[in-house]
Formats: sequence, C-alpha cells, structure tokens
Amino acid sequence: MTGYTEIMTDPSYRGQIMVFAAPTVGNYGWKRDHMESDAVQVSGVVTRSAYSAAGYLDSALKESGIPGIDRVDTRSLVLKIREKGTVRGVISSRMEIPWDFPDPMKLDLVSEVVSNEVSRISSGRKITALVVDAGAKKSLLKRMSEIADLIVVPHGIDPAGYLGEADFIFVSNGPGDPSHTSLEPTVKFIGKQIGKKPVTGVCLGQQVIALASGCTTYKMRYGHRGSNHAVTDGMNTWITSHNHGYAVSESSMEGSCLNVLQRDINDGTVEMVGNGEAGVLAAQYHPEGAPGSHDLSWFFERVKKIVEDSVARG
Amino acid sequence: MPADRTIRKVLVIGAGPIVIGQAAEFDYSGSQACFALREEGISTVLLNPNPASIQTDSEVADRVYLEPVTPDSIEKIIRSESVDSILASVGGQTALNSILLIRRLGMLDSLGTRILGTPVESIELAEDRKLFHDLMGKIGEPVARSVMLSREDYGMIADDIDYYPVIVRSSFSLGGSGGNIVRDSSALKAVCRDYFRSNPEQSMEVEESLAGMIELEYEVIRDSQDNCITVCNMENIDPMGVHTGESMVVTPAQTLSDCEHNMLRDSALRVIRALGIVGACNIQFALNRGDGSYHVVEVNPRTSRSSALASKASGFPIARVSTKIAMGYSLAEIRNPVTRDTYAAFEPAMDYVTVKIPRWPFDKFQVDRTIGVSMKSIGEVMGIGRTFEEAFMKAVSSLENFLSHSLRLNVPDSRLESYLSRPSDLQIAAVFEAIFRGMKPERIAELSGYETYFILKFSGIAAKLSGIEIGQVPENLEELKELGVSDLSIGSLTRLGEKGIVRARLDRGLLPSFRIIDTCAGEFRSQTPYFYSTYGEQDDVIATSGKKKVLILGAGPNRIGQGVEFDYCSVKAVRALRKLGYSAIMINSNPETVSTDFDVSDRLFFEPVTLEHVSNVIVKEKVDGVMIQFSGQTGQNLAQGLSEIFGGDIVLGTSPDMIEMIENRAEFSGRLAELGLRQPEFTSLYNLEDALEKTALIGLPAIVRSSFVIGGRSMDIIYDVEELVQRVRDIFTENPANPAIVSRYLEDAMELDVDFVSDGERAYICGIMEHIEEAGTHSGDATMMFPPSIPDVLTEEIIRITTVISSEFRITGIANLQIAVKDGAVYIIELNARASRTVPVIAKATGIDWVEVAVKFATGNTVAVRGNAIPRGVFVKVPVFPFERFPDLDILLGPEMRSTGEGVGIGLTREEATLKAFMLNRRKYGRPSRVLVTVDDRRKEAALELVSYLVQSGVSILSTPGTHEFLKSRGIPSEIAYKLEDVRKPDVATVIETGDLSAVINLLGTGSGTLRDGFEIRRLAISKNIQIFTNLKLAWAYFGAIFSGTEPVPRELSDYQPGNPRRT
Repeated sequence: MTGYTEIMTDPSYRGQIMVFAAPTVGNYGWKRDHMESDAVQVSGVVTRSAYSAAGYLDSALKESGIPGIDRVDTRSLVLKIREKGTVRGVISSRMEIPWDFPDPMKLDLVSEVVSNEVSRISSGRKITALVVDAGAKKSLLKRMSEIADLIVVPHGIDPAGYLGEADFIFVSNGPGDPSHTSLEPTVKFIGKQIGKKPVTGVCLGQQVIALASGCTTYKMRYGHRGSNHAVTDGMNTWITSHNHGYAVSESSMEGSCLNVLQRDINDGTVEMVGNGEAGVLAAQYHPEGAPGSHDLSWFFERVKKIVEDSVARG
Repeated sequence: MPADRTIRKVLVIGAGPIVIGQAAEFDYSGSQACFALREEGISTVLLNPNPASIQTDSEVADRVYLEPVTPDSIEKIIRSESVDSILASVGGQTALNSILLIRRLGMLDSLGTRILGTPVESIELAEDRKLFHDLMGKIGEPVARSVMLSREDYGMIADDIDYYPVIVRSSFSLGGSGGNIVRDSSALKAVCRDYFRSNPEQSMEVEESLAGMIELEYEVIRDSQDNCITVCNMENIDPMGVHTGESMVVTPAQTLSDCEHNMLRDSALRVIRALGIVGACNIQFALNRGDGSYHVVEVNPRTSRSSALASKASGFPIARVSTKIAMGYSLAEIRNPVTRDTYAAFEPAMDYVTVKIPRWPFDKFQVDRTIGVSMKSIGEVMGIGRTFEEAFMKAVSSLENFLSHSLRLNVPDSRLESYLSRPSDLQIAAVFEAIFRGMKPERIAELSGYETYFILKFSGIAAKLSGIEIGQVPENLEELKELGVSDLSIGSLTRLGEKGIVRARLDRGLLPSFRIIDTCAGEFRSQTPYFYSTYGEQDDVIATSGKKKVLILGAGPNRIGQGVEFDYCSVKAVRALRKLGYSAIMINSNPETVSTDFDVSDRLFFEPVTLEHVSNVIVKEKVDGVMIQFSGQTGQNLAQGLSEIFGGDIVLGTSPDMIEMIENRAEFSGRLAELGLRQPEFTSLYNLEDALEKTALIGLPAIVRSSFVIGGRSMDIIYDVEELVQRVRDIFTENPANPAIVSRYLEDAMELDVDFVSDGERAYICGIMEHIEEAGTHSGDATMMFPPSIPDVLTEEIIRITTVISSEFRITGIANLQIAVKDGAVYIIELNARASRTVPVIAKATGIDWVEVAVKFATGNTVAVRGNAIPRGVFVKVPVFPFERFPDLDILLGPEMRSTGEGVGIGLTREEATLKAFMLNRRKYGRPSRVLVTVDDRRKEAALELVSYLVQSGVSILSTPGTHEFLKSRGIPSEIAYKLEDVRKPDVATVIETGDLSAVINLLGTGSGTLRDGFEIRRLAISKNIQIFTNLKLAWAYFGAIFSGTEPVPRELSDYQPGNPRRT
C-alpha cells in the first residue's frame, strides 16, 4: 500500500503503465523527499480508489503530464496480467484506440531517463565508485554515497575516462530490456573491467554484469513487482523489494565467472550473483528499499568490503 | 531445518474459560496448532477446562483434559501421558503464566519436558517491564521513559521530570490498569502526597504518557534460524490511550508512508531478534506524527487477539505457521497454505482493506461506557472491502447493534463535543453526528484523536447517507452499496425495512461480486476458497456445482449470551455436513473464531451475518438450504426474512413458521395450554393502572420485563408492590408502544436445562442439566450439574414433554427447553428451537456428537440415536464473570445474563467436580479459615445451617451487626464487622481488605434496604478476588466440596464418557 511516490518516480518504470494492486493509493499525500527522480516516470497510473481529498496525486501527475485513471477494477487487471504475462496497454479518453504503437520495451528507455552531465557526490569516503547511471534511483545513489564517493556517469557518456579515479564500478538500476542495443557499449565496457576492478550493481546493473560475463537474460512472464518477495541463499531468507521484468538466465551462467548467490524462494529466479575472486557482486532486487524492506542493506557493506579488500591487495 | 522428530507427544495448553481480553481467538489459534501438529503425525494432549471450545473436541486433539490449568494437573498429565514437549504459545496469557510458574517451581527439569517455540527466557524478557525496557535500551529502541518514586524522593524527582504529561500508577496496579494522567510536577506531588500518606512503604511508578500518538501493531514471525517476516501491520484508528482490544483497527495501515512503515518494520525485526522469539509475536508502537519519532510500547510473545485478527485479515495462518516453526521448520520450508505453491517466507500483500470494531456489552450492562487502557469489550467483528469505506461499513453492519441501524447520536449540540472527545462505544456515532451537523473535519479530528484522513473518509460516507429520502429506494443504490452501506441502514433511513431493500436490490439484479483473499494481491494463483463481497467489480468466484450445498450461519460477534459455544456448534455442523457429502459453506464476520478459518469449510464467506449478506450468498451459490439453528439468536432472527424472500423450505430444520410461533409468547403459551403443559402464569400489562390489578392475580414475587426485548434482557424479579410500580413505569418510559409482561416467579423451584434432538416426531434427550441455584438465575449464569440428581419419574416426564413439544412444533434438529420443577410439577419456562450454549458440554460428557445427529435430522436423514446417555462422572459447568472489569456493575445474579464464558469441572463425585469447577472462576481458592457472613432478615433462618456447618468445620465467622445478633441468639459466636457508615471499627471494608478472608457469604434479596451496603461488600470482595456467594445453594455446594477431603485427579475426557471403560 505504501511507496507509491517512490514507485511512480522510479526511472526503472519508464515506458510502463503502473497498475496498483493496492486498492487505495495516495493516502498519505505526495512527499517530494520520497521522489526517486525529479518527475513521475511511469507512463500512466491505474488505481482502484485514488485518495483525492487533497488532490496531491492528481497534481503530481499533472505536473509531469502523466495520465491516471481511477475507479478501475485493478484486481481483475492484475489477474489478466498474471494469466497473459505483461501486456501492452493504452489509457485513452476516446473510443478509437491506436493499437498500432511500438512496444515500449523496444525503445531506448535508458537514454530517456538519464541526464547528460557527469555529477559527483563526495563526502570524503575511503573509496570511490564509478557509477554507470542507467536511471539510478535517488535513494540508491544516497545509499551508495554512504559507502563511497561517487562519480555518476550517465549512460551515453563514455565512462572509460573516469576509470582512473575510481576504485570500483557500480552499475545502477534502469528501465527496459538489458539486451537492448543501446546498452551494448555499456555491456562491452563492463566486460573489459571484470577481473580488473571490482564490478558491482543493482537491478538492471546485475543484468548488464551478467551479459558482460557472457550470460543471457530473458523477459519474465510478468516479472517481480513489490516489496514482499523472499530471496534465499539456501540457508537464510530475507524479504526484499523487487522491480524487474527481466532476469538472468541461470542455465546461461554455466561456464561464466558468475555464481548464483541468492534465488527467489518461489520461482527460483536468480536474485544475486557474484564472484569473490573477481570482485563481482550484484543484486537483482533493491537492497536500498524505498519502497520496501532494508533486510538486505548489508549488500552495501559487502560491496564496501570487497572494494576495500581489493584496494588493500592493490 | 526439518522438523525435530524427537517431538512425539505434545501437551497443548489452552486458554481456559472465555474472559474479557482472552476470548475465542485462542480457540482458533489452539485448534490450528493441534491441526498443525497432527498433520505431522505428532500426538496432541490438550489441557483446557473450557467445554464450549472446539479445541477440546476429540476431532481436534488426540487426548483431551478438561481440567484446571494448574501446576499439579500439568505435572500429573505429563507423567501419565508421557508427554515430551509443551506448546504454550497458543493459550493466551493463561498458558504463558502456567509455564512461567512451573519453571519457577523447577518442574521443567524434574519432568524432563521441553517448551516448544519461544524459550521461557524470552517470554520473561518480554513480560517483565523492567527487563524489557533494559533490553530495548541496550539495542537502542526507544521506550517510554519511566521512574519509580518513593515517599522520600518523590518531591525531588517530580521537579526533575521533563516529560510531562505522565501516567502514575501505584505499585499495586502495575501493567495497564489503574493509571492516572498527571500534567505537571505540582499535580504529581499532590498525587504522591495523598498516596504515601496511607501507603508509606509502597512506591509509585511514573511513565511518560504516549496518549494521543498513533498506535500501530506489527505481527512478526521469526524461525529458529533467525529468519523474520512481518505478516502485516495494523493501524488503530483510536489513538494511544485506548487499549488495542478496544480500538477500531484497520489493516493494512492507511496513513503510514513507506518510510514510516519500514522504520517500524526495521524496529520490529530488531526487537523480535533481541528477544529471541521463535514463532509469532505482536509488537505495538506509538508513532508521533509531529516529529516522526516512535516508541516501542509492548510485545506479546505469543499468538494473541491481534494475531488472530491479522491471520483473518491477511489470510496468513499465524498460529499454524508458528507451530510449524516450533517443531523446527524454517519459514522457507513451510508452504503457504493459501496458494499452496509458494512458501510462508514472504509478506502478504492485501488488495483490500479490513476494519475491526469491538463489540461492547453496554446493551446488557448499565455501566460507565468510557473505554481506555483496560478492556471492556466482549467480542469483535471484521469488515472486508475493497476500500476503507466499504470495510468500515461492513464491520458496522456486522455488529448487530444500534450502530448497524444508524450512525446518529441523539444528543444536544452542547453535549456533542464531550461525546466526541471522550472515548466510548458512542464516540464513532458522535463523529458521524458531528459530520452531519457540519462540524469541520479538522475540529472533529482534534476532539476525537482520529487522524483527519479517517474523518474525511467518514464524511464521504455521511454525504451519501444524507441524500437518502424516506419512502423510496435510493436512486444511487449502487453507489451506496459500493460504500458498504447496508440494506439494513438504507431500510432504516428510508423506512422501507431491511427486507424491502434486499428485495428491491435483488429485483434489480444488483448483486455484489465476490473476491478471493489470496495473501498475494493476485500475484499467484490461490487454491483457497476464502471470499468477501464488493460491488462494481468482476467476480473471482465461480459457484461450485455437483454436491448439494448448505450454507451454515456463524454466530457473528461474541457478546454476552452468544459466545464461543455457538462457534463450536456451527463448526461441528460444517463437519457433519461435509461427512454427509454436502458442500458446506460458512458465512461469519467474527475474526476470532474457528469457523472463519478457511480450512474448516468448503467455502468461507467472511461477511456480516445479516439478511442482506446471507441472501447474497444464497443467490450466488444457489444453495440448497440454510442451516440457522447452530448460530444462536442471530440465526433465529433471520428465519422469517429468509423464508419470505426464498420460501420457508430454504431453512433446514424446524420451519420458520414454527420458530415464529415459539417466539411469540402469547401464541406459544396458548399451544402449551392446549397440550396440557404447565407454565408459570403470566399476563401482559398495557398501562400502569393494569399493573397492580393484574399482578395481584399472579402474585408476588414476579418476573417483569418488556415484551419488546426477547431472550433474557431487562428482566427483574420483583418482590414488593413499590418495586413493581417503579419497574413497570420504567418499562413504559423506555418502550411506550409495547406491553410489559409479568409472569409468576416460582420461588425455590429447581431449574433444568434440557437439550434434545428430534426428527419432527420423536425426541431424544441429549442431556438434562440441573441448575445448582434455584430457578431465577439466567441459565447462562447458573452453575449447572450433569447428570442431574432427579428421580427417574421426572426424567420420564421430561422425555414425554419433549416428545409432545417436538411433534407439536415439528422440531427438526436440535432444541433447548428450560423448565422449572416445583412440588413435583413441571413448568415450561422457555423453548428455543436451536442449539443452546450447553450443547458442547453435553456432547463432550456423553461422547455423542449431538450436532451431527441434529444435522442428520434437519437434512432428512435417519439415524439411530440413544437418548439420555449418562456419563461415568459428574460435570459441573461454572460461569465466569467480568465483574473486575466493571466496578460499577453489581454482581447479584438474576434473569439477566452477565457471564462471558464458562468452565467445567469433572470428577468421579459431585464434590470432586465442584472443587475443580471452582478452581476456574479466578478467585482465591482453598480450605477456608475466615468467612464473612451478611444475610438479610428473610434468609437468616435458611443460612443458619450452613453457618453452623462452617463453624463445626473449624471456620471462624465474621458477621455484620444484624447477622451477628441473629447468630448470637442461636448460640453461634462470630466476630463483628460494622457497616460502612458506622464509626465503630472494624468495618466490613477493613475486614475484607485486610482480614485475610477466605470467602464472603452475602445473601440479600433485591429490594431489601441493605442493597447499597451489600453492593460495597460485593465490590470489595471482587476487587480482592475473594470467593463470594450470593446464593445459598451455591455456597453449600462449594463448602461441601471443600470440606469433603476430595483430592482432585486429572482424567482424560473419554474416561468419563458412557460406554468407555475407565482406565484408572
């Protein structure tokens, strides 16, 4: 029920219409400091019962020019999506619906959500990350900045020039299909760095790292959404926040340098990969929460440890 | 980690009799635990003296001990059954306290038994306020600041405290009750000065007040491998300061942001880990909206009322999962029984909203309606809807009280604010009234302490209600239904009646759709038939076909007069129907119960048990019949409406026409006369002038009541003319339109409760229970004995009467007959064509599933029955009363019911059974040494024999002056205890408070001048937990048993049942 501000402004949702399974949305208003980017990123919002008493939700959507539709039987939509897999959709005020539109997942969504300037977040940490920004959530950068100084290089700008300053690479979350052609340069760049510097990532970041290690990704039937998914390392389980429509194919990992460290408890989806020697660690879910749990926020401490060990080794 | 296979036989400790704060929710969690153990092949031994529970049914547990939960019985059972483990986390505070006690006595080690689930050390950490606060300090979790004050240091400390307002409690009343709010140091010093003047050696505790903050609860589960999940959170609509059991509670929390939610969730996980809970616990928080800070308020280290609510709200069966964890499983190894394809290691997602509202006894008790830190409610309801509005209004509709009709409060403007700002059962009506009268939402929020969010939601509902006009079906009916407004409310506002609206709606084809509760908001396919209704959406539910379908009504919220015994009956009816090959469909709105466990029936509709919702399910499922005779008065009240809408044949069992005839006093009485059956003479009074003349024909004492209320409400036994006039005048003031009824009170008659089954012709006695008290005490409050001590000729006469009645009223299924016997003559007091509250105890005593027999008769099946089976022991059923919760309620028993629950004592002799029974009423128990006797003139002679007996048994007697003089005149010495207003000492108050009394015998009729003094004596005795007797026969039973020298021995239930060879 909670976290609609974070979800609607998460760049990873670019190109998607958000159907809220939670029946009431907007209850606690629109808090700017919960926004994960500067604008609403989803392409549309579908709700059963948007709380409109103060009009927060409505004005937030208007501000970003995003349509929303309320009083929809969202559970039935959810069931349809469960049966059919993720479907294309249109929100329209007219009966003539332009069915002939491109699959948003075939677009270069990452370029739509990133800025065109390199930025830095420095607070005197011991280590420095080169963040390959594919549409990073604000809370992810904030959490990363607690372990490292960040050089945030948006997708579209060659990161190679910043390698010298960085102790490790971090690939952020982002929207769309990881195997999209627009991401090929990034995949190539990461491929070259694995083994040289620690390479870490979250969400789309894990998929890019897997592709760079010679694995493949696939589109899931309807993906994992929501903050109640359990992942396990075979011993313990944690509740984690998920938002991914694509995943790393476990069978493709055979022979690669990557090991599966965690899986989804129900469908076995690869949720964390890594390689201790090569200094690779990536999570498919969102260890930073926002929205969602902080059960695996030790991910960031582990990244820090890997990098510090690597720095110590020289 | 897989289950520990060394666990083979588990003692499950139940919660005992239903009391306020410990109700049907433990029957639910305890039953789930037994099922969870049994499906692992583990044998279960159940200890619970509550005979009304489902848990104590042999279909639930392998070995059943209806015995007092004492260290002695636990020890004996563990030894005789070779129990290897104890499960104490599903029996409420009773079970937890019992294992803390046996551990303190060193019995765990000597018995070599282990405690499953949360270790005892963790329970102690959570239960001991100081240890808990220290632990929270250690892990950095904020708790309310507190300090202890003594006579020496209070002045200095009071000045140093910088966190006023504070709650002050004396060291006598730690934990919940008896706190006062104090706003500054001078007020605190004044309180302390007063207190220490009379209690110089005591201390006082001062705690930071969190009143007014938002109260939130988290249901958290941890397994032995330190994996944790939160099942759901719950937001109390009432702010801190109102006990969560007294609050309206919404799930999931409606006003929390994700940051706030995860802040509290993180804290909850830190707390459960620090405590080392293995299983479930409930953690309460107070959230300060102003600065975003929070406090950890309290942890319940076990399943609780809240966990039952959370289980029903989320679909996640907490007791079941925590029992599996106690066996050694990890969360990732336990299947989610709702989806069956996913695991318990996840957090439920809800695509609906639930609202819980408590059900208070203020319709039965004329007491202070203020609610606060200590519980007064008897039961609760839950409404489920797609929106808050719908869930809230469905909960209101489930209450079956005045709010279900109308959310208005008829008070002058000048008094509205005080109703708004004072927490009570009327506060929600005051909120709506204020909205209707145009008060600003912010102002209402400020006065009531509810979040503005909720006020705005209520305003939306009120706006639509205001549009309803008298005399016509609203045009926006669909809109009203989407808001959850009941047909009953619309029927009241339009004056078309509930039935009128139900009909109009069905005629228009305006039906709800039904959706599944699946724990995952549609993400996974659910295998579980757990449904609720909503409007304007698609249907998840496809009506089943194939088997014949029967809808069984649940009994709605627990209340005085309708408790867990009807849940037992409806659950047993479900099981019987399933055995007979029917598809059994349950409808109920009570989240505490076993009947709303989705594992129990073929389909569960969690809906108000009202004509509207029952009709909707009938239409939806095209059921073949409705079973109404197992759900108390709730079912009976629907008979006529269902019959008018669907035809009389829809009701299985005794027909609605016959039910109506039985409930119509005049008609019923006429029939009885024709049949030659006696009943106490009665007459109807239409005005005050009638009263004297007509009553003279009947004679005093008489029972006076309004004809308007059915079933034991507002009845009084009247002894003199003055009282008669007063009472009749009151009745006409309350209900001018309805006659008052006066019936002869049969003094000193024996009362019997007869349960019987019939196929419409022949009747078979299930059991006859004898009231220990003479006729006049409500059958729910009487202490009863089975088998009765009556001559065979009387039994024969009763069998004859039941057969005559059965064929006359074509009783099909089960029924209950109350009779009085005086001078050998049998008088019919009341007939109910439904299961009574004694059915479960009779079923257990006879070893016969009477509900199953009744179901067979009601569905037209034949069955060979052996009537009037007699157990191989004596069963004494005792009521348990909530007097300590209501200081302003007199404990004198009469025709109005007061008890919340019951226990049973079973023994080979009447004395042994009585001894065990009196261990259950939560009062001081043991061989008496000093007894206070105070008796009015009318009863002095009668009491003499008992007092002599006590003196001969070595008891010293104290008595009030009149009684003292009387005893002296008969040569019985006693110490004198003066009346309260007397200046001489000692007075009765001092004697009771400090006199080390074992019991009080207080025999006073109503109407005697000593009533007020008696009230004080009774209140004091209750506050000191002293056995108090207001009935001579009951006192005899108790003292006779105590001095009989019987040593109680626990025995398994089947040892007492007829036909079973006794083991020892």
